[in-house]
Amino acid sequence: MKIERNKFADSIFEMHEKGFTYLVKITAVDYQKYLEMVYIFRNLESIEENTLEIDLDPSDLWMPSITNYYKAADWYERELQEMFGVEIKGRNAKRLLLEKWDGKGFPLRKNFEWNKQYETME
Amino acid sequence: MSITRINIGPIHPSTHGVCRLVVDVDGDTIVKVEPHIGFLHRGVEKLVENRMYMQCPPYMEKLDYVAPMSMDDLYVGAVEAALGVEVKERAKYVRVILLELQRLASHLFLIGSVGNDLGLMFTMFMWAFKDRDLILKLLEEATGQRMFYVNMRLGGLVNTLPKDFEEHTIDTLEGLEKRLKKYQAFLEKNPIFIERMKGVGVLKKEDAIDLGVTGPVLRASGVRYDVRKNNPYYVYRELNFSEKVLYDGDNLARFRVRILEMYESMRLIRAAFEKMPEGDEKGMPIRLITPKAKNRIVVVNREVPRGEGLIYMVADPEKAYRLSIRAPSFINLAALEHITKGARIADLFAIFGSLDLVMADVDR
Repeated sequence: MKIERNKFADSIFEMHEKGFTYLVKITAVDYQKYLEMVYIFRNLESIEENTLEIDLDPSDLWMPSITNYYKAADWYERELQEMFGVEIKGRNAKRLLLEKWDGKGFPLRKNFEWNKQYETME
Repeated sequence: MSITRINIGPIHPSTHGVCRLVVDVDGDTIVKVEPHIGFLHRGVEKLVENRMYMQCPPYMEKLDYVAPMSMDDLYVGAVEAALGVEVKERAKYVRVILLELQRLASHLFLIGSVGNDLGLMFTMFMWAFKDRDLILKLLEEATGQRMFYVNMRLGGLVNTLPKDFEEHTIDTLEGLEKRLKKYQAFLEKNPIFIERMKGVGVLKKEDAIDLGVTGPVLRASGVRYDVRKNNPYYVYRELNFSEKVLYDGDNLARFRVRILEMYESMRLIRAAFEKMPEGDEKGMPIRLITPKAKNRIVVVNREVPRGEGLIYMVADPEKAYRLSIRAPSFINLAALEHITKGARIADLFAIFGSLDLVMADVDR
Protein backbone atom coordinates (compact mmCIF):
# COMPACT_ATOMS: atom_id res chain seq x y z
CA MET A 1 0.00 0.00 0.00
CA LYS A 2 1.55 3.27 -1.11
CA ILE A 3 1.18 6.19 1.28
CA GLU A 4 2.54 9.69 1.76
CA ARG A 5 5.12 10.43 4.41
CA ASN A 6 2.93 12.92 6.27
CA LYS A 7 0.25 10.23 6.75
CA PHE A 8 2.84 7.70 7.88
CA ALA A 9 2.54 8.26 11.63
CA ASP A 10 -1.24 7.77 11.50
CA SER A 11 -0.89 4.63 9.40
CA ILE A 12 1.59 3.12 11.84
CA PHE A 13 -0.76 3.84 14.74
CA GLU A 14 -3.67 2.32 12.84
CA MET A 15 -1.59 -0.70 11.86
CA HIS A 16 -0.59 -1.35 15.45
CA GLU A 17 -4.19 -1.00 16.63
CA LYS A 18 -5.43 -3.45 14.02
CA GLY A 19 -3.19 -6.17 15.46
CA PHE A 20 -0.27 -5.94 13.06
CA THR A 21 2.09 -5.99 16.01
CA TYR A 22 4.93 -8.00 14.48
CA LEU A 23 7.39 -6.09 12.35
CA VAL A 24 8.84 -8.38 9.71
CA LYS A 25 11.23 -6.11 7.89
CA ILE A 26 12.10 -2.55 7.03
CA THR A 27 14.02 -2.11 3.84
CA ALA A 28 14.56 0.43 1.10
CA VAL A 29 15.00 0.34 -2.65
CA ASP A 30 16.89 3.01 -4.54
CA TYR A 31 15.03 3.60 -7.83
CA GLN A 32 17.36 6.54 -8.54
CA LYS A 33 14.51 9.01 -9.25
CA TYR A 34 13.11 8.28 -5.81
CA LEU A 35 13.90 6.06 -2.87
CA GLU A 36 11.21 3.70 -1.71
CA MET A 37 10.92 2.68 1.92
CA VAL A 38 9.22 -0.66 2.51
CA TYR A 39 7.72 -1.66 5.87
CA ILE A 40 6.33 -5.19 6.17
CA PHE A 41 4.05 -5.98 9.13
CA ARG A 42 2.36 -9.18 10.20
CA ASN A 43 -0.66 -9.98 12.27
CA LEU A 44 0.26 -13.12 14.18
CA GLU A 45 -3.36 -13.94 15.07
CA SER A 46 -4.79 -14.00 11.58
CA ILE A 47 -1.44 -14.52 9.76
CA GLU A 48 -1.98 -11.60 7.44
CA GLU A 49 0.76 -9.41 6.09
CA ASN A 50 0.61 -5.76 5.23
CA THR A 51 3.14 -3.63 3.43
CA LEU A 52 3.56 0.13 3.58
CA GLU A 53 5.55 1.83 0.84
CA ILE A 54 6.69 5.43 1.02
CA ASP A 55 8.48 7.24 -1.78
CA LEU A 56 11.14 9.71 -0.70
CA ASP A 57 12.76 12.44 -2.73
CA PRO A 58 16.56 11.94 -2.84
CA SER A 59 17.11 15.54 -1.75
CA ASP A 60 14.88 15.15 1.29
CA LEU A 61 15.70 11.79 2.84
CA TRP A 62 14.21 11.38 6.25
CA MET A 63 11.66 9.20 7.97
CA PRO A 64 10.12 9.32 11.43
CA SER A 65 11.23 6.55 13.75
CA ILE A 66 8.74 3.82 14.66
CA THR A 67 10.63 2.41 17.64
CA ASN A 68 7.91 3.71 19.97
CA TYR A 69 5.52 1.18 18.50
CA TYR A 70 7.89 -1.56 17.35
CA LYS A 71 11.10 -2.22 19.28
CA ALA A 72 12.20 -4.50 16.46
CA ALA A 73 12.61 -1.46 14.23
CA ASP A 74 15.69 -0.29 16.11
CA TRP A 75 18.39 -2.22 14.27
CA TYR A 76 16.66 -1.95 10.91
CA GLU A 77 16.58 1.83 11.25
CA ARG A 78 20.24 1.94 12.16
CA GLU A 79 21.04 -0.21 9.16
CA LEU A 80 19.07 2.06 6.84
CA GLN A 81 20.78 5.19 8.13
CA GLU A 82 24.11 3.64 7.36
CA MET A 83 23.38 1.88 4.08
CA PHE A 84 21.01 4.37 2.42
CA GLY A 85 21.66 7.63 4.23
CA VAL A 86 18.04 7.96 5.26
CA GLU A 87 17.91 10.06 8.37
CA ILE A 88 15.58 8.55 10.94
CA LYS A 89 14.20 11.31 13.13
CA GLY A 90 13.23 10.85 16.74
CA ARG A 91 15.69 8.17 17.74
CA ASN A 92 17.49 8.10 21.07
CA ALA A 93 20.52 6.00 20.10
CA LYS A 94 22.66 7.66 17.48
CA ARG A 95 25.30 4.96 17.02
CA LEU A 96 25.48 3.36 13.60
CA LEU A 97 25.24 -0.37 13.20
CA LEU A 98 28.37 -1.75 11.63
CA GLU A 99 31.73 -1.23 13.20
CA LYS A 100 34.42 -0.78 10.63
CA TRP A 101 32.93 1.32 7.84
CA ASP A 102 34.81 4.61 7.72
CA GLY A 103 34.23 5.50 4.08
CA LYS A 104 32.10 8.13 2.42
CA GLY A 105 28.86 7.42 0.66
CA PHE A 106 26.06 4.95 1.23
CA PRO A 107 26.84 1.44 0.01
CA LEU A 108 23.41 0.27 -1.08
CA ARG A 109 22.57 3.38 -3.11
CA LYS A 110 22.83 2.93 -6.86
CA ASN A 111 25.38 5.73 -7.28
CA PHE A 112 27.82 3.79 -5.11
CA GLU A 113 29.96 1.68 -7.42
CA TRP A 114 30.61 -1.73 -6.01
CA ASN A 115 34.18 -2.33 -7.12
CA LYS A 116 35.72 1.08 -6.71
CA GLN A 117 38.26 2.28 -4.16
CA TYR A 118 36.60 4.88 -1.97
CA GLU A 119 38.57 7.40 -0.02
CA THR A 120 38.10 7.16 3.71
CA MET A 121 37.27 10.12 5.82
CA GLU A 122 39.48 11.04 8.71
CA MET B 1 25.97 1.15 43.31
CA SER B 2 28.73 1.53 40.81
CA ILE B 3 28.73 0.44 37.23
CA THR B 4 31.66 -1.36 35.70
CA ARG B 5 32.08 -1.67 31.97
CA ILE B 6 33.43 -4.95 30.62
CA ASN B 7 34.51 -5.61 27.08
CA ILE B 8 33.98 -9.11 25.67
CA GLY B 9 35.27 -10.05 22.26
CA PRO B 10 35.50 -9.49 19.30
CA ILE B 11 37.31 -12.82 19.34
CA HIS B 12 35.80 -14.94 22.06
CA PRO B 13 35.08 -18.68 22.05
CA SER B 14 31.49 -18.25 23.18
CA THR B 15 30.36 -15.67 20.66
CA HIS B 16 30.32 -18.30 17.89
CA GLY B 17 31.98 -15.94 15.48
CA VAL B 18 33.23 -12.41 15.67
CA CYS B 19 31.06 -10.25 17.88
CA ARG B 20 31.99 -7.68 20.48
CA LEU B 21 29.82 -7.19 23.53
CA VAL B 22 30.17 -4.16 25.76
CA VAL B 23 28.59 -5.09 29.07
CA ASP B 24 27.73 -2.71 31.91
CA VAL B 25 27.52 -4.58 35.20
CA ASP B 26 26.54 -3.60 38.71
CA GLY B 27 28.18 -6.21 40.91
CA ASP B 28 27.48 -9.27 38.81
CA THR B 29 24.09 -8.11 37.54
CA ILE B 30 23.90 -6.99 33.95
CA VAL B 31 22.59 -3.46 33.47
CA LYS B 32 23.11 -3.19 29.75
CA VAL B 33 24.59 -5.20 26.91
CA GLU B 34 25.52 -3.51 23.69
CA PRO B 35 26.46 -5.80 20.80
CA HIS B 36 28.90 -4.31 18.32
CA ILE B 37 28.62 -6.11 15.00
CA GLY B 38 29.92 -5.77 11.47
CA PHE B 39 33.24 -7.57 11.68
CA LEU B 40 32.08 -10.09 9.09
CA HIS B 41 30.28 -7.65 6.81
CA ARG B 42 30.87 -8.57 3.18
CA GLY B 43 28.13 -6.61 1.50
CA VAL B 44 26.34 -9.61 0.03
CA GLU B 45 23.30 -7.52 -0.83
CA LYS B 46 25.45 -5.27 -2.99
CA LEU B 47 27.44 -8.09 -4.60
CA VAL B 48 24.24 -9.78 -5.71
CA GLU B 49 23.18 -6.68 -7.64
CA ASN B 50 26.13 -7.17 -9.97
CA ARG B 51 25.86 -10.86 -10.74
CA MET B 52 23.54 -13.07 -12.77
CA TYR B 53 20.90 -14.94 -10.80
CA MET B 54 22.56 -18.33 -10.65
CA GLN B 55 26.00 -16.96 -9.84
CA CYS B 56 24.76 -16.00 -6.41
CA PRO B 57 23.89 -19.21 -4.48
CA PRO B 58 27.49 -19.67 -3.23
CA TYR B 59 27.35 -16.21 -1.64
CA MET B 60 24.06 -17.05 -0.01
CA GLU B 61 25.42 -20.26 1.46
CA LYS B 62 28.16 -18.39 3.26
CA LEU B 63 25.55 -16.32 5.07
CA ASP B 64 24.76 -19.16 7.40
CA TYR B 65 27.64 -21.59 7.40
CA VAL B 66 26.00 -23.91 9.91
CA ALA B 67 23.02 -24.52 7.65
CA PRO B 68 24.11 -23.44 4.16
CA MET B 69 21.52 -25.35 2.20
CA SER B 70 18.59 -23.60 3.82
CA MET B 71 19.88 -20.17 2.79
CA ASP B 72 20.58 -21.49 -0.69
CA ASP B 73 16.99 -22.73 -0.84
CA LEU B 74 15.68 -19.36 0.34
CA TYR B 75 17.50 -17.54 -2.45
CA VAL B 76 16.63 -20.04 -5.18
CA GLY B 77 13.03 -19.91 -3.98
CA ALA B 78 13.03 -16.16 -4.53
CA VAL B 79 14.50 -16.50 -8.01
CA GLU B 80 11.97 -19.19 -8.90
CA ALA B 81 9.17 -16.90 -7.78
CA ALA B 82 10.58 -14.03 -9.83
CA LEU B 83 11.11 -16.02 -13.02
CA GLY B 84 7.91 -18.03 -12.55
CA VAL B 85 9.56 -21.47 -12.50
CA GLU B 86 7.56 -24.43 -11.18
CA VAL B 87 9.40 -26.89 -8.94
CA LYS B 88 9.12 -30.51 -10.04
CA GLU B 89 6.91 -32.68 -7.84
CA ARG B 90 9.64 -35.12 -6.83
CA ALA B 91 12.13 -32.30 -6.31
CA LYS B 92 9.80 -30.82 -3.69
CA TYR B 93 10.07 -34.01 -1.65
CA VAL B 94 13.82 -34.29 -2.11
CA ARG B 95 14.27 -30.69 -1.04
CA VAL B 96 12.21 -31.25 2.09
CA ILE B 97 14.34 -34.29 2.94
CA LEU B 98 17.63 -32.46 2.44
CA LEU B 99 16.47 -29.32 4.23
CA GLU B 100 15.25 -31.26 7.23
CA LEU B 101 18.54 -33.15 7.36
CA GLN B 102 20.23 -29.77 7.32
CA ARG B 103 18.02 -28.63 10.18
CA LEU B 104 19.01 -31.71 12.18
CA ALA B 105 22.68 -30.94 11.59
CA SER B 106 22.18 -27.33 12.62
CA HIS B 107 20.27 -28.13 15.82
CA LEU B 108 22.88 -30.75 16.74
CA PHE B 109 25.44 -27.97 16.49
CA LEU B 110 23.44 -26.04 19.08
CA ILE B 111 23.10 -29.01 21.42
CA GLY B 112 26.83 -29.50 21.28
CA SER B 113 27.77 -25.89 21.78
CA VAL B 114 25.24 -25.19 24.53
CA GLY B 115 27.04 -27.69 26.73
CA ASN B 116 30.29 -26.01 25.91
CA ASP B 117 28.90 -22.56 26.73
CA LEU B 118 27.71 -23.72 30.13
CA GLY B 119 31.03 -25.19 31.09
CA LEU B 120 29.85 -28.78 30.80
CA MET B 121 33.10 -29.32 29.00
CA PHE B 122 33.53 -31.51 26.04
CA THR B 123 31.38 -34.62 26.38
CA MET B 124 28.20 -33.26 24.86
CA PHE B 125 30.15 -31.40 22.21
CA MET B 126 31.86 -34.57 21.00
CA TRP B 127 28.69 -36.63 21.03
CA ALA B 128 26.64 -34.06 19.16
CA PHE B 129 29.34 -33.41 16.61
CA LYS B 130 29.75 -37.10 15.95
CA ASP B 131 26.08 -37.28 15.07
CA ARG B 132 26.27 -34.09 13.06
CA ASP B 133 29.03 -35.69 11.08
CA LEU B 134 26.85 -38.68 10.24
CA ILE B 135 24.27 -36.29 8.81
CA LEU B 136 26.87 -34.33 6.89
CA LYS B 137 27.96 -37.64 5.45
CA LEU B 138 24.43 -38.26 4.21
CA LEU B 139 24.32 -34.81 2.66
CA GLU B 140 27.65 -35.47 1.02
CA GLU B 141 26.25 -38.66 -0.43
CA ALA B 142 23.31 -36.74 -1.87
CA THR B 143 25.07 -33.62 -3.09
CA GLY B 144 28.77 -34.39 -3.42
CA GLN B 145 29.88 -31.75 -0.93
CA ARG B 146 30.36 -31.89 2.79
CA MET B 147 29.65 -28.32 3.74
CA PHE B 148 28.80 -25.85 0.98
CA TYR B 149 26.51 -27.79 -1.28
CA VAL B 150 25.32 -25.39 -4.00
CA ASN B 151 22.82 -28.08 -4.82
CA MET B 152 19.78 -26.06 -5.82
CA ARG B 153 18.87 -25.28 -9.40
CA LEU B 154 15.77 -23.61 -10.72
CA GLY B 155 12.95 -26.15 -10.60
CA GLY B 156 14.93 -28.89 -8.90
CA LEU B 157 18.38 -29.98 -7.84
CA VAL B 158 21.78 -30.58 -9.34
CA ASN B 159 22.15 -34.23 -8.40
CA THR B 160 19.67 -37.05 -8.27
CA LEU B 161 19.59 -39.00 -5.03
CA PRO B 162 21.81 -42.10 -5.03
CA LYS B 163 20.12 -45.50 -4.97
CA ASP B 164 20.69 -46.54 -1.37
CA PHE B 165 20.29 -43.03 0.09
CA GLU B 166 16.90 -43.84 1.59
CA GLU B 167 18.23 -46.91 3.37
CA HIS B 168 21.24 -45.04 4.76
CA THR B 169 19.10 -42.15 5.95
CA ILE B 170 16.56 -44.33 7.70
CA ASP B 171 19.37 -46.24 9.43
CA THR B 172 21.10 -43.07 10.57
CA LEU B 173 17.88 -41.54 11.85
CA GLU B 174 17.08 -44.66 13.83
CA GLY B 175 20.38 -44.43 15.65
CA LEU B 176 20.07 -40.67 16.08
CA GLU B 177 16.61 -40.90 17.59
CA LYS B 178 17.84 -43.27 20.29
CA ARG B 179 20.89 -41.19 21.04
CA LEU B 180 18.94 -37.94 21.12
CA LYS B 181 16.86 -39.29 24.00
CA LYS B 182 20.09 -40.16 25.75
CA TYR B 183 21.54 -36.69 25.19
CA GLN B 184 18.45 -34.95 26.46
CA ALA B 185 18.44 -37.14 29.58
CA PHE B 186 22.16 -36.57 30.06
CA LEU B 187 21.71 -32.82 30.03
CA GLU B 188 18.39 -32.46 31.81
CA LYS B 189 19.30 -34.76 34.70
CA ASN B 190 22.31 -32.58 35.35
CA PRO B 191 21.41 -30.11 38.14
CA ILE B 192 23.99 -27.59 36.91
CA PHE B 193 22.48 -27.58 33.44
CA ILE B 194 18.95 -27.11 34.77
CA GLU B 195 20.00 -24.39 37.17
CA ARG B 196 21.56 -22.35 34.43
CA MET B 197 18.79 -22.94 31.91
CA LYS B 198 15.51 -22.94 33.82
CA GLY B 199 14.09 -19.50 34.51
CA VAL B 200 17.14 -17.79 33.03
CA GLY B 201 16.80 -15.30 30.21
CA VAL B 202 13.01 -15.22 30.21
CA LEU B 203 11.42 -13.60 27.18
CA LYS B 204 7.68 -12.99 27.58
CA LYS B 205 5.25 -13.45 24.74
CA GLU B 206 4.42 -9.75 24.28
CA ASP B 207 8.08 -8.80 24.35
CA ALA B 208 8.96 -11.53 21.88
CA ILE B 209 6.42 -10.13 19.42
CA ASP B 210 7.47 -6.53 20.05
CA LEU B 211 11.15 -7.33 19.58
CA GLY B 212 10.35 -9.29 16.43
CA VAL B 213 12.34 -12.38 17.39
CA THR B 214 11.86 -15.33 15.14
CA GLY B 215 12.05 -19.09 14.80
CA PRO B 216 12.58 -21.32 17.82
CA VAL B 217 13.12 -18.27 20.06
CA LEU B 218 9.65 -16.97 19.17
CA ARG B 219 8.03 -20.38 19.55
CA ALA B 220 9.69 -20.96 22.93
CA SER B 221 7.88 -17.84 24.13
CA GLY B 222 4.50 -19.27 23.24
CA VAL B 223 3.82 -17.72 19.84
CA ARG B 224 2.36 -20.19 17.42
CA TYR B 225 4.06 -19.20 14.19
CA ASP B 226 6.08 -21.36 11.87
CA VAL B 227 6.39 -20.62 8.16
CA ARG B 228 6.14 -24.31 7.38
CA LYS B 229 2.68 -24.33 8.98
CA ASN B 230 1.31 -20.86 8.39
CA ASN B 231 2.62 -20.25 4.89
CA PRO B 232 3.44 -23.76 3.73
CA TYR B 233 5.83 -24.26 0.85
CA TYR B 234 6.89 -27.45 -0.94
CA VAL B 235 5.01 -30.38 0.59
CA TYR B 236 4.86 -29.51 4.27
CA ARG B 237 1.07 -29.44 4.16
CA GLU B 238 0.89 -32.92 2.64
CA LEU B 239 3.28 -34.23 5.28
CA ASN B 240 1.06 -32.84 8.08
CA PHE B 241 3.73 -30.72 9.65
CA SER B 242 2.92 -29.56 13.16
CA GLU B 243 4.80 -26.71 14.80
CA LYS B 244 6.36 -27.08 18.24
CA VAL B 245 5.50 -24.44 20.81
CA LEU B 246 6.53 -24.07 24.45
CA TYR B 247 5.43 -21.36 26.86
CA ASP B 248 8.18 -20.68 29.39
CA GLY B 249 10.35 -18.46 27.21
CA ASP B 250 13.52 -19.27 29.12
CA ASN B 251 16.75 -20.90 28.01
CA LEU B 252 15.43 -24.37 28.72
CA ALA B 253 12.33 -23.79 26.60
CA ARG B 254 14.47 -22.57 23.70
CA PHE B 255 16.60 -25.69 24.03
CA ARG B 256 13.61 -28.03 24.27
CA VAL B 257 11.82 -26.50 21.30
CA ARG B 258 14.79 -27.41 19.15
CA ILE B 259 14.86 -30.97 20.46
CA LEU B 260 11.15 -31.31 19.69
CA GLU B 261 11.74 -29.88 16.23
CA MET B 262 14.39 -32.50 15.63
CA TYR B 263 11.92 -35.31 16.32
CA GLU B 264 9.47 -33.60 13.98
CA SER B 265 12.17 -33.30 11.31
CA MET B 266 12.90 -37.01 11.56
CA ARG B 267 9.21 -37.79 11.18
CA LEU B 268 8.99 -35.49 8.17
CA ILE B 269 11.95 -37.16 6.48
CA ARG B 270 10.48 -40.63 6.94
CA ALA B 271 7.07 -39.48 5.71
CA ALA B 272 8.64 -37.77 2.70
CA PHE B 273 10.44 -40.96 1.70
CA GLU B 274 7.17 -42.88 1.91
CA LYS B 275 5.15 -40.43 -0.17
CA MET B 276 7.86 -39.47 -2.66
CA PRO B 277 6.68 -40.03 -6.25
CA GLU B 278 8.87 -41.57 -8.95
CA GLY B 279 10.30 -39.27 -11.54
CA ASP B 280 13.00 -36.77 -12.11
CA GLU B 281 14.28 -34.15 -9.68
CA LYS B 282 16.91 -32.45 -11.80
CA GLY B 283 16.63 -28.73 -12.19
CA MET B 284 17.39 -26.56 -15.22
CA PRO B 285 20.99 -26.47 -16.32
CA ILE B 286 22.25 -22.94 -15.86
CA ARG B 287 22.90 -22.28 -19.56
CA LEU B 288 19.30 -23.06 -20.49
CA ILE B 289 17.78 -20.40 -18.31
CA THR B 290 16.14 -17.77 -20.47
CA PRO B 291 15.98 -14.83 -18.17
CA LYS B 292 12.69 -13.02 -18.19
CA ALA B 293 11.42 -11.93 -14.84
CA LYS B 294 7.67 -12.33 -14.59
CA ASN B 295 7.22 -10.68 -11.24
CA ARG B 296 8.98 -7.42 -10.54
CA ILE B 297 8.73 -7.54 -6.75
CA VAL B 298 8.98 -10.84 -4.88
CA VAL B 299 8.70 -11.55 -1.17
CA VAL B 300 9.60 -15.12 -0.23
CA ASN B 301 9.95 -16.60 3.23
CA ARG B 302 11.23 -19.93 4.45
CA GLU B 303 11.73 -21.45 7.87
CA VAL B 304 15.49 -21.84 8.11
CA PRO B 305 16.92 -23.50 11.25
CA ARG B 306 17.56 -20.15 12.95
CA GLY B 307 14.17 -18.69 12.26
CA GLU B 308 12.23 -17.11 9.46
CA GLY B 309 14.41 -16.14 6.55
CA LEU B 310 12.83 -13.67 4.15
CA ILE B 311 13.95 -12.19 0.88
CA TYR B 312 12.51 -9.01 -0.60
CA MET B 313 13.66 -8.86 -4.19
CA VAL B 314 13.15 -6.35 -6.97
CA ALA B 315 13.87 -8.40 -10.06
CA ASP B 316 15.47 -7.27 -13.29
CA PRO B 317 15.50 -9.70 -16.24
CA GLU B 318 18.99 -11.03 -15.62
CA LYS B 319 19.87 -10.09 -12.10
CA ALA B 320 18.40 -8.70 -8.94
CA TYR B 321 17.96 -4.93 -8.94
CA ARG B 322 17.78 -5.03 -5.18
CA LEU B 323 17.86 -8.00 -2.85
CA SER B 324 17.16 -7.51 0.80
CA ILE B 325 17.61 -10.38 3.22
CA ARG B 326 15.92 -10.66 6.57
CA ALA B 327 18.50 -12.63 8.47
CA PRO B 328 17.05 -14.48 11.47
CA SER B 329 20.23 -14.16 13.55
CA PHE B 330 20.26 -10.40 13.02
CA ILE B 331 16.92 -9.82 14.64
CA ASN B 332 17.49 -12.36 17.40
CA LEU B 333 20.75 -10.67 18.38
CA ALA B 334 18.94 -7.32 18.50
CA ALA B 335 16.79 -8.81 21.27
CA LEU B 336 19.81 -9.80 23.38
CA GLU B 337 19.90 -6.47 25.17
CA HIS B 338 16.34 -6.91 26.40
CA ILE B 339 16.68 -10.56 27.40
CA THR B 340 19.86 -10.14 29.42
CA LYS B 341 18.68 -7.14 31.43
CA GLY B 342 18.92 -8.11 35.10
CA ALA B 343 20.58 -11.45 34.47
CA ARG B 344 23.88 -12.52 35.98
CA ILE B 345 27.02 -11.90 33.98
CA ALA B 346 27.79 -15.62 34.19
CA ASP B 347 24.53 -16.37 32.43
CA LEU B 348 25.24 -14.02 29.55
CA PHE B 349 26.70 -16.73 27.37
CA ALA B 350 24.08 -19.26 28.40
CA ILE B 351 21.52 -16.83 26.98
CA PHE B 352 23.66 -15.92 24.00
CA GLY B 353 24.14 -19.60 23.20
CA SER B 354 20.43 -20.37 23.48
CA LEU B 355 19.65 -17.81 20.75
CA ASP B 356 21.76 -19.91 18.35
CA LEU B 357 23.32 -17.07 16.40
CA VAL B 358 25.61 -17.21 13.41
CA MET B 359 27.58 -14.02 13.06
CA ALA B 360 28.01 -14.21 9.30
CA ASP B 361 24.23 -14.15 9.08
CA VAL B 362 24.04 -11.10 11.35
CA ASP B 363 26.53 -9.01 9.40
CA ARG B 364 25.79 -10.11 5.85
